[in-house]
Amino acid sequence: MKTWQRSLFALCALVALFGGAAYAQAPGAPPVEFPYTGNRTAVWIVAQLHILFAAFILGAPIFVVISEWLGYRKQDPRYDRLAKEVMKVTVILYSMTALTGGLFIFVLLATYPQFTTWLINHFFLIFAVVYPLLFIGETILLYWYFYSWDAWKGEKKARHIALGVLLNLVGTITLFVIDGPTSFMNTPVKAEGISPAEFLATATLWDKIYNYSWMPMNLHRLVGNVTFGGFITGLVAAYMYMAAHKEEERSYYDWMGFVGNLIGVGALLFLPFMGYLLAYELCDYDASICPYMMADQLSMFFEMQGAMVGLIFLASNYYIWLSMKRIEGVERVRMTIFAPIVMVALPFVMTFVWTIFPVPDPLSLAILLPLALLPTVLGRFIPLTVSSRTVIKVGFLMVVVGDAIWLTPHGFVPTGAKLVADLELPSDWNFLALMPAKNSAAFTLVFVTVVNYIIYNRAISQGTIVWGKIDFASQFVLVFLAFSAIWTMGLMGAVRSLLRKYFHTYNLLPDFTTESFTPTLSYSAWWITAITVAFYLVVSFAIFVTLRPAEAKGHAPEATPAPAGAK
Amino acid sequence: MGQAIKKLVIGVVVGGVLLGVTKALEFPTVFQMMFFAYAMLGAVVFILLDAPSLKPMNGVKALGALVVFYIVLCVVYIAGASLWPQYDPEDEKGKIDKILAPKRKATEQGKADELIARAKALDEQAKALAERIRALGGDQATAAQGAGGTGAPPSTMGTAGGDILKLGEDQWQLQECYNCHKLRGEGGKKRGPELDNIGSYLTVDDIKQKILDPKSWMAEGFEKEFEKGKMPDKYKDLMEENDVVALASWLVTFKNTSVNTPKPIKKK
Repeated sequence: MKTWQRSLFALCALVALFGGAAYAQAPGAPPVEFPYTGNRTAVWIVAQLHILFAAFILGAPIFVVISEWLGYRKQDPRYDRLAKEVMKVTVILYSMTALTGGLFIFVLLATYPQFTTWLINHFFLIFAVVYPLLFIGETILLYWYFYSWDAWKGEKKARHIALGVLLNLVGTITLFVIDGPTSFMNTPVKAEGISPAEFLATATLWDKIYNYSWMPMNLHRLVGNVTFGGFITGLVAAYMYMAAHKEEERSYYDWMGFVGNLIGVGALLFLPFMGYLLAYELCDYDASICPYMMADQLSMFFEMQGAMVGLIFLASNYYIWLSMKRIEGVERVRMTIFAPIVMVALPFVMTFVWTIFPVPDPLSLAILLPLALLPTVLGRFIPLTVSSRTVIKVGFLMVVVGDAIWLTPHGFVPTGAKLVADLELPSDWNFLALMPAKNSAAFTLVFVTVVNYIIYNRAISQGTIVWGKIDFASQFVLVFLAFSAIWTMGLMGAVRSLLRKYFHTYNLLPDFTTESFTPTLSYSAWWITAITVAFYLVVSFAIFVTLRPAEAKGHAPEATPAPAGAK
Repeated sequence: MGQAIKKLVIGVVVGGVLLGVTKALEFPTVFQMMFFAYAMLGAVVFILLDAPSLKPMNGVKALGALVVFYIVLCVVYIAGASLWPQYDPEDEKGKIDKILAPKRKATEQGKADELIARAKALDEQAKALAERIRALGGDQATAAQGAGGTGAPPSTMGTAGGDILKLGEDQWQLQECYNCHKLRGEGGKKRGPELDNIGSYLTVDDIKQKILDPKSWMAEGFEKEFEKGKMPDKYKDLMEENDVVALASWLVTFKNTSVNTPKPIKKK
């Protein structure tokens, strides 16, 4: 795609945005009725697609610039090539972000004109001035960053990296700004003793932006975007690995897949905690949100989320396992016996401790922190070790146990109101369905993954990686991780929106349409899958058009099998 | 292959043990099956760990494998989501209509909709009356109208004139108070006090005050929940005055002294 075509896309999006704002001022615009999907699902599809593209174009540049910096610092051209190739895909998807963003505004205005007008009026400065300016600024920086890649190399590389940092800064501010109205819809400003409508009338723009869930959502999305970008990089690498004909290309894309997975998993480790923070703030805002989310209408959405997160952790650890298999000399790597012991003990001890000292009681940390550090400390004094294979296999066992704890519900019912003894956990075992157990499951998954990466690091420092010789199944694991991450994002996005119940803006602006009910998980799954597939088709096309010609031209051999850690 | 079968057998044995143990511990059947499924998941994971390497694919074969893989993922995710218990939106639709009805009426659109609906109803009644006049003759039609038949004027009486206790119970269901409060042995997640004996402690006005201003009363032993503001401060905006009165009037009838309802402490 040429520069003028991309610019045209961006221009269309801006016209849509401003046109939308102008259209919103026209009184009495009758809402349209989308056939088959209905209005709510139509908005859902377009909004989710926009968020997926936006997440990638905001998340990818964060590690692109880090990768570029690593390449510069280590003088390793692979990092620079990875950064540039991901940036090529990002530039195409940037156009799609703009396009779907414009479409989103149009669909929203056509289907919910009164609400959209109301929201735009409350955030007029944001929608009409701040956001467009940031968007224009980001567009300029993004294309400048991409097109100055080859011109600013050698001595000018630092300047180029600085431009990348600036791009990320503007991107992050853009995310934070647009999170204002989004989070406001979930947790509008309120004050004790005053009705939300009355308080809103006197609230400043900053009051509206700085609402309960704004900062948790910022953090959650920021980390989520990096995770997402990492897994999409893995997807790019998997596609290219499958299409590669030359050994050196396979070596490079094997390495790229590894880096993408490392970034994805590295950020993923923080994601459950960011999710908890967001859920905590939502529950703190209105206690009735909590049962709706965890025990009633949306409880099974969280069961599905548990299943997805469990699968993602299993797959990412499986990728490490497959990566280990192609390291020569891995059999020499050993680890203290206390690592698997702590792994096994962790979910049970954590559940017990957090039941007695609920989070955020610091006493729980005083017990659990030494436990987590036990393998490092005792391992220095007691030289009992086990093979890396044993540690990883115990780890897999504990990932399955963690998944099992996370998935076990209080009852197999869609709402607490339908709970009967035949579908409910026995009261003595009810602790399995409570937050201490769920938190311990999440920590177990994180702990096992961290230990696996420590083993992997030891393996690459003691052995030799044979890039390009990884089990071909690993490429399907990378594809699986990207697909599952997108699917989970869609699922949790639906949950966040549905938390508003029958309101456009919670407790402030009711949704009087006939579609303001909680849909079934099955119905949601159909649409989430459809959106994921649509996104995948576009991304696959973007990878094909941007990277295939590059592959055809060929590259200098950059990654022949070499000792691990070698520059 | 032999290794895979061995691991599958181990998975079945572990699953069987879990099944037996959970049965002995009186877990419901669905949980027993779930624990068996966890064991099988473990078996699959361990089979995959030592599975032979997949041969590299290229070109059309790789593309075909990818497409099949995506189809499998789509089917598994949709089927997986559909296997969980599904919430019936119909349960909610009626409730939402009732909750939003007063708010809808208050809007310009709501007023217009109501007028249109009334006009339509009157129009249909007029048509039905005309039909009867044609079929039965003038005298009979007048008699039918006098007896309150189809020609009777539409009732403008709402539920306000009906059973206030029934309306109160409706509000209990509509506002989903049962999510946090146990009553008649149903509902409650220990977030709020059990209310079976609330009528022995509070008057209608007191309960009404608590609903509209959750900080006005605190249940003994629920200090932490009170401090955290667990009871949402939103009902004054969500509920109509008569709905709050109806709910309070219904709750005050609960005077079951055998239930340990915590003593309310006045805070405001």
